[in-house]
Amino acid sequence: MTAKRLRIIALLAISTVFLLAWAFPIVWSVMNSLKTDSDVLAYPPKLVFTPTWEAYRDVLFGSGSILPNLLSSVIISVGTTVVTMLMAVPAAYALARLRFRGKKFAGFYVLATQMLPPVGIIIPYFLVLRNIGWIDTYQGIILIYLSFSLPFAIWLLVSYFEDIPFEMEEAAYLDGASRLKTLWRIIIPQVRGGIAVTVVFVFLNAWNEFLFAVVLSGNTVRPVTVAMFNFVSVEQTLWAKLAAVSVLAMLPVVVLGVVAQKHIVKGLTVGAVKGGGRR
Amino acid sequence: MSGQGQVSFRNIVKMHGEFAALKGVNFDIKPGEFFALLGPSGSGKSTTLRILAGLDAPTAGRVLIDDKDVTSTNARDRDIAMVFQSYALYPHMTVAENIAFPLEMAKLPKAEITPAVKDAARKVKIDHLLDRKPGQLSGGQQQRCALARAIVRKARLFLLDEPLSNLDAKLRLETRAELKKLQRSLGVTAVYVTHDQEEAMTLADRMAVFMSGEIQQVGTPAEVFARPNSIDIAGFIGNPPMNLVPARYVDGDVIIAGHRLKTTATTRGERDVVVGLRPGALRMAVGGLGARVDLIEDLGDTAVLDLDCAGTMIRMRVADGNIPGEGDTISITARPQDIHLFDPATRMRL
Repeated sequence: MTAKRLRIIALLAISTVFLLAWAFPIVWSVMNSLKTDSDVLAYPPKLVFTPTWEAYRDVLFGSGSILPNLLSSVIISVGTTVVTMLMAVPAAYALARLRFRGKKFAGFYVLATQMLPPVGIIIPYFLVLRNIGWIDTYQGIILIYLSFSLPFAIWLLVSYFEDIPFEMEEAAYLDGASRLKTLWRIIIPQVRGGIAVTVVFVFLNAWNEFLFAVVLSGNTVRPVTVAMFNFVSVEQTLWAKLAAVSVLAMLPVVVLGVVAQKHIVKGLTVGAVKGGGRR
Repeated sequence: MSGQGQVSFRNIVKMHGEFAALKGVNFDIKPGEFFALLGPSGSGKSTTLRILAGLDAPTAGRVLIDDKDVTSTNARDRDIAMVFQSYALYPHMTVAENIAFPLEMAKLPKAEITPAVKDAARKVKIDHLLDRKPGQLSGGQQQRCALARAIVRKARLFLLDEPLSNLDAKLRLETRAELKKLQRSLGVTAVYVTHDQEEAMTLADRMAVFMSGEIQQVGTPAEVFARPNSIDIAGFIGNPPMNLVPARYVDGDVIIAGHRLKTTATTRGERDVVVGLRPGALRMAVGGLGARVDLIEDLGDTAVLDLDCAGTMIRMRVADGNIPGEGDTISITARPQDIHLFDPATRMRL
């Protein structure tokens, strides 16, 4: 056996360990979501069983249907993403391009908000929302999510904007374009990859968020991450249903990942490849 | 939309904090002229072009185009086309879309844009590449695309910022000639920034020579070459540039390294001067200034000799077939009218 073969086998073994560790919770969720409650609790765990859609039927169409919660999650995530991007794109462009007073401080502030431990500001946020009567409302949750997603999105986007040479913009001005037209026709098409990456991250962060949602939501607005928790109670945990909801909540994430993968990979390597008329 | 293309700079000053990038620049460009802004890097020529384009605002002074004050007019309202050193093509658009962009911004109808784009592309010979993206073009083709985008609009002024500097040597010579023909056929005023004096000499009708934020001379290439205004210009123009040798002026003669040479240039009395001698104006002649050949750079049809004249370095250009050997001692002279005199204190021509 050569050293090269040994190396390959070692690498494969290490990768397999990592893959198993990563895949185990997902496999566990998918399997348990297809079991009956008694199969879930069977010991030793049953690897071979008769799959049933019962848990899915219950969580989707039963009395405690999570469909409204999925809808809540969609509204919150899409709302957060749309508002974030509408504000982050011009803000990132401004930070990357314009010279204005306090620009350095603004840049620092944007980054500093990312460093706060979120749990430390839940109570103040709760008080603020309660005082303006926005607890358990979409606008309340979206507003709070914005306070994290917006700085993050700006910070991510600025580097993409900075990659675009100044001369490209100046050429557009001389070609007769206004600043807005230039942004829309020349700059944004070139940062598409970065925008796609940012959209995915912002959406996923909002979709997966639990800590703030559990405190700031209520009966009207309850995203799926919080609703999932209902299957865990003092008396019992409904493992099969919990697993089914987990799988359902994971689906959009997986779909989005697959759809945006091309953009993400392209977006992450922006500037690493020569060409495209860049200097 | 096409105007005359006459430009005047009136006392333009540009400060970057404490640093004066332009210290009161004045010049006039006639309509249809090919005008070069020549100077070493950091001399202010690019700043001048950017101020003319409206991309930078001057700290003081006025810019006039066709007798209208445009000092505070936006770049997009100046009716100026520009080719950038980096070409600044829009990478997400095809060649055709790149060329069409200025026309779209001018809100021309589609029916007029398509033929105009084809016409501009044909003029710079890239009409077979219209569907490509800039990333799929060679450097020379990208440069042509940038040219086409600039000429398609028939703007009154055509600015070029070192457009040839990213091309390889052979392509640069070809494009240089084509650029001149293109400008002539369009009859448009062109302002051309370059640090390459050979480009300025061959392309320009007139040129302004920049030195540390000031224009030291404006004139035709022939004038600037024949009568450089200052030591700095003399040392910048020509390849190799003029020899600048400290000497003593005594009644119509200059004394270089103990040897007397007649000159037609005159100045008062007896004084220290700097003598300018073009390498190509030096001749080998009996009884001239003695010099030892230190090094020979053979360029094929001519050769440049590095000469040591009693400690003073002088470069001389000689024709092929007339080349001495390295280490030989020769005797050189120059015609009286080929001897330029400069003031060592003010650095200006005497």
